Amino acid sequence: MSQPAMGAEKHGAENALDPGDAQPLTIDRRTLIKGSVIAGAAAVITSKKTDVFAQSLTGGSPPVAPPAMCATQPSNSPATTPFVDDLPIPQAASPTLLFPAPTRTANIAWGEAARDAHQAWDRFRPRVFYHSVAAPSLHRFHRDFSPTYLWTFNGHYPGQTFLGQYGLPMLVRFRNNLPIDHAVAAIPEMTIHLHNGHTPSESDGFAGDFFGSGLWKDNHYPNVYAGVDDFGGIGDPREAMRSFWYHDHRAEFTAPNNYMGLNGQFILYDAKDPGHEHPTPGSLRLPGYYGVTDIPLHLHAMLFCPTANGRTEAFLTGAVGPVDKWIINGKIQPKLTVRRRKYRFRIVNTGVAKEWNLSLIGPDGQQKPMTVIATDANFVQNPFVINNRPLLIPVASRFDVIIDFSQFAAGTSVYLREAQAQFVGVSVPDPAPGLPIGNVAMRFDVVNREPSFPADTPPIPSTLIAMPAPIVPDSSFTWRFTRDGDPVRFRINGQVFDHNRVDHVVLKGSSEEWTLANDVIAGNWTHPVHIHFEEGRIMSRSHTTRDAAGNIVSVDDVPLLPEELGRRDVYRLPGQDRLVIRLRFRDFVGRYLIHCHNMNHEDDFMMVRWDVVDSVAELTRRRREIDERRMLAGLPPQYGESAKTGRLV
Amino acid sequence: MKRRELFTTLGQPAGACCKPGASRMAALIPNAVFRTQDDRRVRFYDDLIKGRQVMVLMMYASCETYCPLATQRMVELHHQVLAPRMGKDLFLVNVSLKPEQDDPAALRAYAEMHHALLPGWTFLTGDRYDVDTLRYRFFSHDHIGIDEDVEQHAGLLKIVNDPVGRWFHADLFASTRTVLEHIQWSDPPKTLKARLRDNRKLQEKIDRDRALYGFRKIA
Repeated sequence: MSQPAMGAEKHGAENALDPGDAQPLTIDRRTLIKGSVIAGAAAVITSKKTDVFAQSLTGGSPPVAPPAMCATQPSNSPATTPFVDDLPIPQAASPTLLFPAPTRTANIAWGEAARDAHQAWDRFRPRVFYHSVAAPSLHRFHRDFSPTYLWTFNGHYPGQTFLGQYGLPMLVRFRNNLPIDHAVAAIPEMTIHLHNGHTPSESDGFAGDFFGSGLWKDNHYPNVYAGVDDFGGIGDPREAMRSFWYHDHRAEFTAPNNYMGLNGQFILYDAKDPGHEHPTPGSLRLPGYYGVTDIPLHLHAMLFCPTANGRTEAFLTGAVGPVDKWIINGKIQPKLTVRRRKYRFRIVNTGVAKEWNLSLIGPDGQQKPMTVIATDANFVQNPFVINNRPLLIPVASRFDVIIDFSQFAAGTSVYLREAQAQFVGVSVPDPAPGLPIGNVAMRFDVVNREPSFPADTPPIPSTLIAMPAPIVPDSSFTWRFTRDGDPVRFRINGQVFDHNRVDHVVLKGSSEEWTLANDVIAGNWTHPVHIHFEEGRIMSRSHTTRDAAGNIVSVDDVPLLPEELGRRDVYRLPGQDRLVIRLRFRDFVGRYLIHCHNMNHEDDFMMVRWDVVDSVAELTRRRREIDERRMLAGLPPQYGESAKTGRLV
Repeated sequence: MKRRELFTTLGQPAGACCKPGASRMAALIPNAVFRTQDDRRVRFYDDLIKGRQVMVLMMYASCETYCPLATQRMVELHHQVLAPRMGKDLFLVNVSLKPEQDDPAALRAYAEMHHALLPGWTFLTGDRYDVDTLRYRFFSHDHIGIDEDVEQHAGLLKIVNDPVGRWFHADLFASTRTVLEHIQWSDPPKTLKARLRDNRKLQEKIDRDRALYGFRKIA
């Protein structure tokens, strides 16, 4: 048994060592032979990627035993002791060589998923290559839990973090080695979206472009600022974005597939934000050592089945339902030792449907300041402090915050509070006055800085970027989110999602003012609306009040919060709210999406495809097609006369 | 793309790929007793779902707008594309949302009116409690205003593939191509060879689209 142990994956070994695992590890003859072959290969390849190679050798059926997920919803997850696990830092992905070498057109003969040719291949030929393999693995969410069956990239949850550089084009080969015979409510098909990269459409993870197990796909990330066509080179540096995340976007199954772990972070650096703290030209000198002073916080929420047969499986039967454990970087209520200096945290809410309301609570139970420097990957013009309200993080939103731990004495603990309480299950006194343990998402233990640890960075600059003047739109367009019609459905502009239908066409290089209107009358649905490809500026927000009969009583302007003044790609849209945003569509053409990022709603078809085209002739022709189709469906035209004349407005 | 291409898995036994007994569905799907349009008593899971690929459509006989539209849509799809599979490896179960009104005779009359007494088609009525349980399991939005209102669930299609342990949904009011693709997504997983063949065909389709229209028209 010791012979195949190495080849039979670290997961298998983990399983065997697990004290909660009463079953002895039984291996039949067939597995033994298979295992020996893998062990032989693994002995040659002694890298961290052993498991990946082993999986490809077994033809995509990795030896992680399928889960026996509980079918009835547990009233709560098993109990966990707070603050026993250290906050894990997602491993940085390592570049590798790819075989077969990536090509501009899809390499169908070698099993690449069908796609359009890479449109930016010759302009931004990729120079750094990564391999990311989706496969089952076991992950332990807490010391008190047995391992949990997940679908992860390269065996890591959260997935490895890609650390990239503007001007250094990158290519990631996403390989699907998910098992087709494991009965989980997620589906072994995927299409990976880099949220919200300035990515050519064939690499953007369109919801209908998923590929099955055994296939792979090269996503080409040019790593350029938007505005290449106008600015030349690698685009307009004012458009820089920093903190991205990548996740599965498979139509109908985005929620289960993300719940099962198919996501990770992606960071881009440039001279302004170089990924270190040395005084280099142009650097803002923010805390910047990945994993040391610049730490991703990957927020997730789950519900677990009772521990059985050496596993604590996730509860998942279809759409993702109630959750009661808050998870950061793959651990429940972790702790992190921090030195008395500034740290940068890149927070991303990976959903699936839960909104987070985070605040920093000091040892005295009072809220302490967090400085927000970036919203949805974009630096804000002037950093602002959150100290009298929680920071609301809609699904898929990212916030980069800086916490200065020098304000706390060494030996004290500081807490990250989540407004909604989670289920803990063990009786623990309040860690700080007025702070119940269920509301604590994680703990920071403050210590003095050792001489070897990087010294504190200078104060946060009061201005991070010069926000350009708002763009002047060429035309305007309205997206109405409703729940109406016959039959009653979530609709966008009167229609349900159809991945084969285009509902809006824009011209490359043009800019538009979009109104996002949540006109759902019944219920009070909040939709975190996400627009692929381009960042937008919020111009205004208004709220409509209606009487019981549904008549409009008043329309009031709602003042924008500081976090809405910067550029965004997730727009929180409470019931009866209207947001006016402006965007410009640059550099690439193809199919993109606008959708609600509550992944359950997204899977319920609250999504629309829109296309970018590069000639006015094509724009007019396709807009006319849309109007004709709408008229056939008994809907009012969207463009009217303008679609005939070729004018944009 | 030819309609025929959408259903290349004809003849592949349901769940041929999968381990027996791998289904989680038995515990998720109610196994209550329902009555069919022929007043036959059936157990929902054991007799209608177990080991099969089944489309479940919520309707009621007195519904005047979208239920008949949905039923007509399914009848069209049946005749155009699905007929070779229906009753063999694909089934359609229509469940009455208003079981108090719909006795087997009423369901039979509704089916006859829409020419829907077709191979593989079943119409069901039963106890209100069982219907509600079924409706919650399949269609719950986790939103009380929507989940309490049976009208909001009429005309919705769930596609259950018991052997692979997954369910899917489709909006019958999307385009025919899209509805058929959604049904196809629920087919038993194909062999790697078949997946690679489909992938090659898809690439040919993309290239054809680009040659014809200059852009990728369909997903």
